[in-house]
Amino acid sequence: MNCAECRENLVAFVERLLDREEALACRTHLHTCPDCRAEFKTITGLQQRLVARGQAATNVSIVEPVMRRVRQTQSQPERNTIMSMLMKHRWGLGLGATAGAAAVALTTLLGTPKIQAAAVEVMTKGAQAAARLTSIHLRGQLRTAPAENFSNINPDCEFCAIELWKKFEPQLQWRVEKPGRIAVMDGQSTLLFIKPDEAIKFPQPSSSAFDTQWLHEMADLNKTLENELAAIKTHGWPVTLTHEQGTDGKPKSVITIEARSGLLAGDYLKNKFFATADTRRVYTFDDLTERLESARIYLHAASGDTLVFELDQIDYNQTIDPGVFQIQLPADVVWAGQMQMLPDNEKYAAMTSEQAARALLEACGREDWTEAAKFFDPLTAREKQNLGGLSVISVGTHFTSALSLLSGAEFVPYEIKLKNGSIVKFNLSLKRDGRTHRWFVDGGI
Amino acid sequence: MDLTDRAYVERCRDGHQEDFRLLVDRYQKPLFAYLAGRLRDGRQVEEVAQESFVRAFLSLKKLRKPESFYSWLLGIAGRVAKEQFRVRERDRRNCEVPESLTVDAAGHGEDYPLEEAIAVLPESHRQVILLRYYEGLSCQETATRLDQPLGTVTKTLSRAYALLRQELAARERAESTINQTELP
Repeated sequence: MNCAECRENLVAFVERLLDREEALACRTHLHTCPDCRAEFKTITGLQQRLVARGQAATNVSIVEPVMRRVRQTQSQPERNTIMSMLMKHRWGLGLGATAGAAAVALTTLLGTPKIQAAAVEVMTKGAQAAARLTSIHLRGQLRTAPAENFSNINPDCEFCAIELWKKFEPQLQWRVEKPGRIAVMDGQSTLLFIKPDEAIKFPQPSSSAFDTQWLHEMADLNKTLENELAAIKTHGWPVTLTHEQGTDGKPKSVITIEARSGLLAGDYLKNKFFATADTRRVYTFDDLTERLESARIYLHAASGDTLVFELDQIDYNQTIDPGVFQIQLPADVVWAGQMQMLPDNEKYAAMTSEQAARALLEACGREDWTEAAKFFDPLTAREKQNLGGLSVISVGTHFTSALSLLSGAEFVPYEIKLKNGSIVKFNLSLKRDGRTHRWFVDGGI
Repeated sequence: MDLTDRAYVERCRDGHQEDFRLLVDRYQKPLFAYLAGRLRDGRQVEEVAQESFVRAFLSLKKLRKPESFYSWLLGIAGRVAKEQFRVRERDRRNCEVPESLTVDAAGHGEDYPLEEAIAVLPESHRQVILLRYYEGLSCQETATRLDQPLGTVTKTLSRAYALLRQELAARERAESTINQTELP
């Protein structure tokens, strides 16, 4: 493939519309042609801006409120439907626009008027209950490794506890914790601590960070329903509403949503994170208290569904000890986010992911921690202990996920023999640091 | 049926006010994104977006180029956001409203020029960008929605990228010139 052909196909390549051979030819040309690579980066950069702007556009629909006002300007009488009453009084009810929009969306999707009315009622009451919250504490069980990313799911792992404390007044504060990592937002800054000795801090508050968004959304019922229903509307996910008697003998309303990630079955990241997984989400509302009572998420796979998350405790409006939003770090903590430009930075920035993988593994084998540290953000005592003295058996050719065009991650297969004699065969996840453009380890080791 | 902005605007002008919902549905998400770059509070974004659409509806007869509806709408939204900014500033001075709830009318550090660049794309190109990125459709789904072959959508998207880059570069050059002019 020459430059002209490559550039003509670049957008199709970025959109993953080329067939395998064309994509391979394009990728091969990109590896050898700096000009076309620069063009590719410009296009993916623009694509990332567009995706980010699309995500900035909230999913709330204002069509109905606008059209109601438009009709009012024309002095036409408004139809007095359940929805118009709901929309008219939503602010007074403390629902906000999101709950109203959510109700509209579900009404659109569900079939009969009877089911519509029931769904509107369940969600409206649940959202009203959520709108009055001053604090919330969620406790659940998640199938994942204790120190893994908060969003990671692994059906082969045992359940481990995950908790969220969230205080809405007088200022937003939150903490998410599982056995191997803690994220805290104290109202001023946001901190992640990965046990035993790694931390990263953002000097500003955040409503969610470090891949905790899915859990925050569960605590913010308005937002959860809004997101779920917008996704249902956009992607056509099936949804059902049933009424059941709970084990406590009380009536419950259960909304079940079949969510699909859109990733192909063979994608490396498929079903590894909440955002990339096909799931069945089951929300149970207590009909008497009108509150969300439990939530269960099942991973959907060809081999069957596996329960990967269960919310088993929800405490509303309880006093939360201020100490929950503080965190004591060990004295020898190593801070991430500190990758520095090197005197010979260009040499490392020019590496392919395969070259970087081999260089970092070989540096670990030599226990040359100065060299290895150039590929970690940061290099911790844990990595030194695990990887020191390893032997490299093989380093393969990198592959990507559908998400790689956005994240920039490349996955390099490797096989190593550790000092204790055990063989590890896995895929190293590498990303380029935004400032230094060097590859650094993002996972898989 | 003609699905262009011009057709919708003209039908609204002819008394089919319900057709205005199609314009709201088409442009509410990019308008949210544009306003999110200027306003710090999600509720304000909704309020300003609603107000902007209603003002646009009331002023439709003044719109000289119906095919430029979205570009014109952004202009209205920018003015409404500035009005909000002045009101909030006044309230903040009077009532000590926390700064985090005020409007960033200048949009420092945000990416709202992207929406302005999208607004000046030819409509066929703009529709592909909006469906692909603001509605979250795949290229195949976009092709189905527009009843076009996939190859046509890919080519339109490719051209739209090129036009967006030209427009953004022109804006950056213009801004750079202004900044240099302002230096002592």
